[in-house]
Amino acid sequence: MIKLAFRRIWEQKWLTRGLLMLLTIIILLPVVVTFLYSFFSPEEISAFMKTRGSADATKWMEIKLVPNMFSLNQYYEVLIRDMSVLKMFVNSVGYTVAILLGQAVVIPMMAYALSRFKFRGREALFFVILLLMILPFQVTMVPNVLTLRSLGLLNTPWAVVLPMWFTPFYIFLMRQFMLALPKDLYEAGQMDGAGTIRCYWQITLPVCRPVIGAAVALSFADCWNLVEQPMTYLTQRTDLQPLSVMFNQLAANSKGNEFAGATLYMLPALFIYLYFMKDILAGLQLTELK
Amino acid sequence: MFEKKKSMWLFLLPGLAGLLMFYVLPFFGGIWYSLTDGSYENAFVGLKNYIAVWQNPMFQLGLKNSMELSLICAPLVWLLSLVIAQLVNRLRPRGAAFRNTVLMPYLMPSSAMLLIWLVLFDFGGVINRAVVALGFERVHWLQGMPMRVPIILLFVWKNLGFAVIIFTAAFQSIPEPLYEYARLEGAGFFRQTFGITLPLVIPTAFLVIILEWINAFKIFKEVYFIGGAYPDEAVYTLQNYMNNMYSRLNYQNVTTAAYSFAVIVFALFGALFFLQWRMLKRTTG
Repeated sequence: MIKLAFRRIWEQKWLTRGLLMLLTIIILLPVVVTFLYSFFSPEEISAFMKTRGSADATKWMEIKLVPNMFSLNQYYEVLIRDMSVLKMFVNSVGYTVAILLGQAVVIPMMAYALSRFKFRGREALFFVILLLMILPFQVTMVPNVLTLRSLGLLNTPWAVVLPMWFTPFYIFLMRQFMLALPKDLYEAGQMDGAGTIRCYWQITLPVCRPVIGAAVALSFADCWNLVEQPMTYLTQRTDLQPLSVMFNQLAANSKGNEFAGATLYMLPALFIYLYFMKDILAGLQLTELK
Repeated sequence: MFEKKKSMWLFLLPGLAGLLMFYVLPFFGGIWYSLTDGSYENAFVGLKNYIAVWQNPMFQLGLKNSMELSLICAPLVWLLSLVIAQLVNRLRPRGAAFRNTVLMPYLMPSSAMLLIWLVLFDFGGVINRAVVALGFERVHWLQGMPMRVPIILLFVWKNLGFAVIIFTAAFQSIPEPLYEYARLEGAGFFRQTFGITLPLVIPTAFLVIILEWINAFKIFKEVYFIGGAYPDEAVYTLQNYMNNMYSRLNYQNVTTAAYSFAVIVFALFGALFFLQWRMLKRTTG
């Protein structure tokens, strides 16, 4: 009886929809609340943040969703009065652009070579890339510091940017996509007398649009959330740190403008997400390893 | 497939050079580093560094925590994404909006989320209100063992969408007639799930658990965001150990710990990849 009733409810799909709705709310909540908090006045948010960390079991933090008075002062603070957050934001943009441009040159070419050319050691090379993908950043950290120092690049932005150009995961992602492309595509090209370079420019790259979009979006997410690299390669240059490293400090000594900073930091990510969503869905063709 | 073309080098060389310079050579160079004493003469000391590091309680703590956190995070993401993808798939052809929302956090910088996380998980925060409403005692979420919860949730929040996308893509590649036939035979939703869907997505499930495990092993950002550079013992990962050794300029210990870690990770994933490759060889003949 109960089983039957349950089955009827289940079949109407309301339960499914309800569960997914709940999940959506949970997932969106932190983003929406951050956005709302950015319209509180700096004084109000400072006072609110100061009520954190009390171990008094009789007191609660207020549940705040709507400001006492709608205010753009946080944005004024961040964008005009105190430029330190904005400066780190610009640093983040610089790293992201430099890394993405380099990756756009190197990574599709490497994936093309790995998926379309027959050569000795191809499988072995791919296996090495898989292994490198697994390595945590810290494993090659010290040798990299030594290399970068001897090149005179340590404590310059290049120390963060250069190693990221060759991130193994994106080579892997692109190779998987290119490997699945139909053979006919290239046979037609070769019939027309196109060489390997024209096959790359005029066939591979246009066809790979979705996976390139997906890789750009995912790589953006990495670059926008850089922590380890600036912490180790830029120890002596606080002026070069991206914003992602600094939110800890912003939280620890609240100046009241941190939520505007966080919202501004989320916005580009939101745009990238909306713009590349279709590509991510079409480009992530990772159903199995082969 | 192109054979014996010189132009291959044009495509291969830039990437290969970079991989060698920033990944492969440092990897091998570092091995030498972990076998010397780092003094002025840089004498060869064999496995002395390894013995010292392996006996270091902080290293042991970090290794234990890294293992535990990854063994919680990866299966959690895997299971949740499997369930969510299945729910989304049930709403076919609609339901795409849900899947798309789950993906959003993957692109969001978790660094910017940290502020709100600290507010939500505060001792007097909303999460604790819910805990009390359910009839339990308040929890100090930002201290000790419970601190793992916000860290793991931040990781799950961010990484769930990627796995959901991969799973839904796999589900959608299963031909619909299979289900129609099963329904004609009177198979319910759960019978269809266990009889058709799951067996057909085993390769994908394998890939997702590997990718998520790799990600979970690298968990550091979340720990750093919530716990700082010297976090509580309960969440002190191997990465924290290595970073702290690095800031004390103890490069020998960093590399030694790093290689110990690399060997463990390689052995683990090498075995998994090999297994998967063998399985694939067998099924495709």
